[in-house]
Amino acid sequence: MEKHFDVLIIGGGAVGCAVARELSRYDLTIALAEKESDVARGTSGKNSAVVHAGFNNPPGSLAARLCVEGCAGFAAACRELGVPYKRTGKLVVATETQDLPALERLLAQGRRNGVPDLALWTPEQARERLPSLSCHGALWSGTTAITNPLLYTIALAENAQANGVEFFLDFPVDGITRMEDGFIVRAGRRRLRADWLVNAAGLYSDLVAAWAGDDGHRIYPCRGEYLILDKQAAELLGTPVYPVPRPGIGGLGVHLTPTVDGNILIGPSAEYIDSRSDDGTTAAVMALLWTEAARLLPALAQSRVIASYAGLRAKTVPAGAADFGDFIAEHSSKVPKLINLVGIESPGLTASLPLARLVARLLGGQLPLRPRADFRPERQRAQRFRDMTPEAQRAAAAADPATREIVCRCETVTRREILDALDNPLGVQNLTGVKARSRAMTGRCQGGYCQQRIVAVLRNEYGLKPEDLRLNGPESWLFAGEVK
Amino acid sequence: MPEKEMRCIICPAGCVLRLSYDADGPALLALSGADCTRGREYAEQELTDPRRTLTSTVKVRGGRFPLVSVRSAAPLPKHLLRPAIALLRDLWAEAPVEAGSVLLDDILGTGTPLLATRAVPSQAIKSAMIAL
Amino acid sequence: MEPTLKTDIAVIGGGPAGLAAAVAARAAGAERVLVLEREPVAGGILNQCIHDGFGLVRFGEALTGPEYADRFLRAAQEAEVQILTETMTLELTAERRLTALGPQGLFAAEAGAVILAMGCRERARGAIQIPGTRPAGIFTAGTAQHYLNAQNLMPGRRALILGSGDVGLIMARRLTLEGAEVLAVVEKLPYAGGLARNIAQCLEDYDIPLYLSHTVTHIEGKQRVERVTVARVDEAGREVPGTARVYACDTLILSVGLIPENELSLKAGVKLSPVTGGALVDEDLQTNVPGIFACGNALHVHDLVDYASAEAEQAARSAVAFCRGEAALPPGIPVRPAAGVRYVVPFFARPGSRPLLSLRVSAPAGPGRLVVKAGEQVLAARKFTRLLPSEMARLTPRLPVPPGAAEMEVLVSDA
Repeated sequence: MEKHFDVLIIGGGAVGCAVARELSRYDLTIALAEKESDVARGTSGKNSAVVHAGFNNPPGSLAARLCVEGCAGFAAACRELGVPYKRTGKLVVATETQDLPALERLLAQGRRNGVPDLALWTPEQARERLPSLSCHGALWSGTTAITNPLLYTIALAENAQANGVEFFLDFPVDGITRMEDGFIVRAGRRRLRADWLVNAAGLYSDLVAAWAGDDGHRIYPCRGEYLILDKQAAELLGTPVYPVPRPGIGGLGVHLTPTVDGNILIGPSAEYIDSRSDDGTTAAVMALLWTEAARLLPALAQSRVIASYAGLRAKTVPAGAADFGDFIAEHSSKVPKLINLVGIESPGLTASLPLARLVARLLGGQLPLRPRADFRPERQRAQRFRDMTPEAQRAAAAADPATREIVCRCETVTRREILDALDNPLGVQNLTGVKARSRAMTGRCQGGYCQQRIVAVLRNEYGLKPEDLRLNGPESWLFAGEVK
Repeated sequence: MPEKEMRCIICPAGCVLRLSYDADGPALLALSGADCTRGREYAEQELTDPRRTLTSTVKVRGGRFPLVSVRSAAPLPKHLLRPAIALLRDLWAEAPVEAGSVLLDDILGTGTPLLATRAVPSQAIKSAMIAL
Repeated sequence: MEPTLKTDIAVIGGGPAGLAAAVAARAAGAERVLVLEREPVAGGILNQCIHDGFGLVRFGEALTGPEYADRFLRAAQEAEVQILTETMTLELTAERRLTALGPQGLFAAEAGAVILAMGCRERARGAIQIPGTRPAGIFTAGTAQHYLNAQNLMPGRRALILGSGDVGLIMARRLTLEGAEVLAVVEKLPYAGGLARNIAQCLEDYDIPLYLSHTVTHIEGKQRVERVTVARVDEAGREVPGTARVYACDTLILSVGLIPENELSLKAGVKLSPVTGGALVDEDLQTNVPGIFACGNALHVHDLVDYASAEAEQAARSAVAFCRGEAALPPGIPVRPAAGVRYVVPFFARPGSRPLLSLRVSAPAGPGRLVVKAGEQVLAARKFTRLLPSEMARLTPRLPVPPGAAEMEVLVSDA
């Protein structure tokens, strides 16, 4: 007999994990099913990592309201969960004089949405913050911040798990049956049972809804490509810089964003595609990103790209549509006990916890939600070796042999941090999982030095056989076996 | 009289050698393009009996590293390289392995021994430090 | 942190350059010579280069990588060089203070002179921006070499190799011999990046095709590499339409360049050349930071390890002289690469000196002459029949740098 839960969340992105963590406050049995081998493998891990202030969305929209709420609470959530967060502010710049009226409109929209700390800046004021900036004026947003969306999602998942949520990774839902007493959710021959479904399936949310019997949604995938620059460029950019958004382009326009780890992101592009999974990069867009970035910050021309990636936005409106596609977060109009979270694209990361509280309220209207006395919102996280003072580094190394070995030289990650990453509560033991948790393999050599050491740890200390080593998913084998 | 070009592989200079030769034999008749005398030696050898040094690895039991690098003590006939590699697949060395020690007295009847090219001390290491 | 270790010479990196530098520093009279090496055994990348062909210049023998390293390891032992293994240098200051982490914990050291011998790293996929997905099965050549030769791991069964650098060519042969199928080596430039002898003995011996003026334009595969698209490129490196070919394979090996490892150097304020990626050194191989010297692949990527060792020995002699206070000379004049020359090391030379010049041409050249000039005066001219960008040329001018010269230039001329 398959396991039966009060609530099953489908989708282990930022939103699904936030829902899991939020619902774990209550006396419910909860499961989360994710098709990939780890959480945050889709859109949640492939974006600009910006905590948005909330001036980009139309007043009165759910996206605007939840974004403003999410931004206000993000710092506290990151503190509670042990996730990096940095309030950088943000500049939206007018690269042409005809962009100036758009800045005024954004300012007015932001004020109507209740966004604090917004101001129009002269080019001189903007250059005081970013000396190499090329612009005719800028909108300053003081509450915009940056985070690490992978660690944020992982932290939510781990905290949810610590509070009793069961995670089913590598569980690609391919069918749902409605029964008298709830749903049966299938992935191949595996099945889970639940009274309630929360559909947080992102790019697949329309399909999941349809499988449950609600065919009222449609997702239009829109791909965005990014370039990551070497940290040597970091001093050029302390604040995210965005162009004025142009209507109908499917996104906020190619922007420049510093990361909490000191790199710079260029992107994303916006391209509607037919596939929900094609997150490959293209030569044409990579070239375009460079051109756009150089328009905003000419000094970037000398920097080095260390990696590129693409993510897909789950849009509810097709290419060219003038309408803004708002978040959908509601009881299905067709299927009882199904809560749909559909079209949660940017600013979904920022709005993830408010969305989760909204789900709790929707559930609470129909289920008794009894708070659990043993709920623990905090998640402890060891300080990174590279962030310690020299004295603390010396003490840590003296106390622990695994802290005396640097495994990743670019990001200064110790063997202890690799072991901690591999001992993660979700049980993820693949290279991408280590990368997300420890930052090993993310630096300028992209794993050239440390990947082989991590492979050695997986073999020697975790007993994995060569043919069982994976980059991420079950088909992503790293080795054909032993040579001899 | 047939002619051919070959790249001398004796040193990094990589001279392009132009040979004319007698196909019966075969025997080298004339040579140009070599910057040094070793070019002629190479051309003659390559024409009559091409040889290459075998380098590969052998598994080690109880060693600090899983493999020891090996070489043939002298170049082997080229056609024996693949059979020789196949032979090494099932060979084991016991740690400790000394650099230069003989792991096989005679590779496939050539009379050429197989040598370890580095030392592998006993005991495995358990850390991210790896076999280099 | 108070320095717990004081040394005359600190060598960062115990590969072929670092070991040679340490031995030479002892021979030149340095009392205490310390090598900081991050691996459990010194020797550097040579330990995974199990093929032969090393040491032909220095020893007149075709040694394998481990054998070449072993000669220097023994010499270092005899010279009583102190090698700290499993020790990563984390910080270096212009005052020649080091912070390192190793089995003894985090410690600081102070050196009379520092020799940078960190070697180089491989350029990765991200740096050359190959479009497509990001599946498993993409390895840099050196990483694949390590898995195959050191960890007994087979990186794949059907491989395509991008880039014709020496490590890529060597890996084409290694993979083939160990049972994988190597479909082709593709090279973006119209000439090969590796030595001619490696084209012959690694590709031609095994009938592996080499496609010049071709590159990888797309990678496909959801989780593991499934297909790789290769197309011809024109002189400007642009894809020629209609030339794309798709290879079904599970592995892509990248041999697309080596980058001198200089993150530590930057922390100490050492200025780097945008062309070589290594320090801007003078004829003593001293960087712009007094008392910090550079050599080997950390200075510029060498074609042969023999020359890296020789260069390291020169850096060591200069470092010992600096410790004795002998080297306080005025700065030299610039040494400039001119027609046909991509770079020249050193970047500065003092009047009166006859610096050993290491250089690479920017495109295949010859027959012709390598000419060293100061103003109108020719300091050296050497005939050559051919010079490839994959080869490093070395040349010591017959005449010293004349006093009053504004700069030196090195060029390729026809006659």
